[in-house]
Amino acid sequence: MLAKRYLSFIIFGLLAFHLNAEEVVTPVGLEYCTVCHGAQLKGNENIQAPRLSGLSDWYLERQLLNFKTRVRGDHPDNLTGGEMMLMAKNLTAQEIKDIVKWVTSTDSPKPLATIEGDIKAGEALYQTCSACHGPNATGNKMLGAPNLSGLNDWYIFNQLNHFRLGMRGTHKADTYGQQMRAVSGVITSEKDAANVAAYIHQLK
Amino acid sequence: MVGAAGGSSALLKTSLALGLMPDEPYTGPVKVKPAAKGQNPTALILGAGLAGLSTALELERAGYDCTILEASFRPGGRNLTVRNGDKIDEMGNPQICQFDKQENMYFNCGPARIPGHHRRLLHYCKTLHVPLQIKANSSKMAYFQDDKSLGGKPKRIVEYHTDARGLMSELLWKSADSNQFDQLLSKEDVAKLKKFSKTYGDLTENGKYIGSDRGGSTTDRMLDYPSPRAPIELKAMLDSSFWYGGLLGSETYDWAEPLMEPTGGMDNVIKAFLRNLKRQPVLNAQVKKIFNRGSGVEVTYEHSGKFHTVKADYCFNNIPAHFMAGIENNFSDNYQSGLNAIKRGHLFKIAFQMKERFWEKDGIYGGISYSKDAIGQIWYPSHDIHAQKGILLGAYTWNEKATKMFEALSQEERLKAGALSGEKIHPGYSKYIENGITIPWSRMNHQMGCGLRMSHDNFEKYYHVLQKPEGRHFMIGDQISHHTGWQEGALASSEQALQQLNKMLAANFNIGEPNYVS
Repeated sequence: MLAKRYLSFIIFGLLAFHLNAEEVVTPVGLEYCTVCHGAQLKGNENIQAPRLSGLSDWYLERQLLNFKTRVRGDHPDNLTGGEMMLMAKNLTAQEIKDIVKWVTSTDSPKPLATIEGDIKAGEALYQTCSACHGPNATGNKMLGAPNLSGLNDWYIFNQLNHFRLGMRGTHKADTYGQQMRAVSGVITSEKDAANVAAYIHQLK
Repeated sequence: MVGAAGGSSALLKTSLALGLMPDEPYTGPVKVKPAAKGQNPTALILGAGLAGLSTALELERAGYDCTILEASFRPGGRNLTVRNGDKIDEMGNPQICQFDKQENMYFNCGPARIPGHHRRLLHYCKTLHVPLQIKANSSKMAYFQDDKSLGGKPKRIVEYHTDARGLMSELLWKSADSNQFDQLLSKEDVAKLKKFSKTYGDLTENGKYIGSDRGGSTTDRMLDYPSPRAPIELKAMLDSSFWYGGLLGSETYDWAEPLMEPTGGMDNVIKAFLRNLKRQPVLNAQVKKIFNRGSGVEVTYEHSGKFHTVKADYCFNNIPAHFMAGIENNFSDNYQSGLNAIKRGHLFKIAFQMKERFWEKDGIYGGISYSKDAIGQIWYPSHDIHAQKGILLGAYTWNEKATKMFEALSQEERLKAGALSGEKIHPGYSKYIENGITIPWSRMNHQMGCGLRMSHDNFEKYYHVLQKPEGRHFMIGDQISHHTGWQEGALASSEQALQQLNKMLAANFNIGEPNYVS
């Protein structure tokens, strides 16, 4: 009786029409990642865990390495960075490769807007950013500038503030972070950060 | 003070008249409307914490077929008792408990005490046969310690308490003596008030507090007349934080003595539910999607690298609300906003295995010492008195600053900080420590928080929204109560949800058909 019931569950599972073929399972041992970053790594603002699907492999690998080696996240006020640092602490090079492979295979809906900003003002500020991140914010591998399109606006907002306040991009081994901190000097307030985040969010 | 006393007795009368006092006998959990003959209604329970397990039990009793999905490798949620070899699944810092392999060497990482008025939980303990024992929640022989007061020296709570009462009573006497209460009290009443303050604070005939042997004696009381210590100066008392640690530590309603604990560990509550459930929870099953469909709820979860989609007539969701934004769903914006409004709470504990129960030599049997350091409290076990070793709670704090500080430390640093603060109360503390564990609840896998809370405004706006089902999906857990972090809150939420279910069923719709209650 019970077995029959289970069987019907399983059959239902196989036939479920909404189960998107592109959805990938979480590799065993990496369930930790989805606890915070959500199903298909769609992101979860409540945990301050950004959407990861849509990020490039080279960027993901660099950041995981930075977290692992305390190049990123090691600032007393950066609590979420500190949390991520702990998660990456014991990853081996192979594990990082496996994670990156999985993350880049996930797909999730683009996040909804959560920040209201002055898009015109954001556009003006973004001109500086566009040199590296591109006019559509899709990033530039040659320059080491990540794709920003599809990131959560609240995450962009937070990171811009982290750069501005010296909570990110101050470690001497964080070459790209330091670069970013230097050029993001045009963003001088929370308001600026919100405007830029809102502008990037509405780019297609 | 007197005015307030008059006010509270007036309030008591009003409360009794309105029937607000809990004087009605408790008749047990909600009885879910039994399934009609030939029907086999189904329910999905998300999360094998206490709210999930109790909901499943009541539904099974009514003839429901329940599937419990649990993301963790273990059932119980925050009801976690650890013993030798158990895994403490902290994100980024997994620990294996190294306590000696002995029955009495355990630690309740989550809930640890049950007051006599938590009638739902006590009902289950009684009917599911979970033996309880008294747990001392306070010991007058324990200490209060604050670096900034009394030269940082630990003070026995009994001494502190006696002096605080004495000094406050002296002030009360003085105000009575100087006719401060003319408007309120007759001469006779003032005389009574002075008599009360004298008795309450152990004052001299002329209303002075000069110390009291209620706080112990500097002589051997068995062979000599007692001789009280010199009391704390009023100024020093006011400069300390006596209104919390030394004085009010066990004065709140939920800590009203005597408290209880299950013999052998709090997880005996969980084991009792599991024993009584027909179907055990599916472990390592992480929920990915929850969809309200017209005739039921459809849930997709991942288990051993495979997706499974299951459907049931009803879903009772015990998942911490802050995870819901990471789970695909078709909830209304308002419902999802309500879930997002519940914020992660921070709570942190340390437990040390002590090679000797040194506190018992110091006259402390159970109870709590209070520290103004980040550790907050030290708890002495009430069970297995005079055994060789014991598990001591070395830190317990929900102060956000303190918990975040501990969370950011490495395991070794946390234990060291705990040991250093313990030294201030018990010199030589560190040398008794054999091993230790740390539990930062907001870093624990699949929980990521304890004491989930909403702002006052959000309570007004969303609490009633989340108490009602959306479609056939019900939120449960202590998070859907005014008593987060307590098992009684979890059971109350389950009771509340099942009452809603009964209402739904009474609204005369047939299982399997769309419903319009939301």
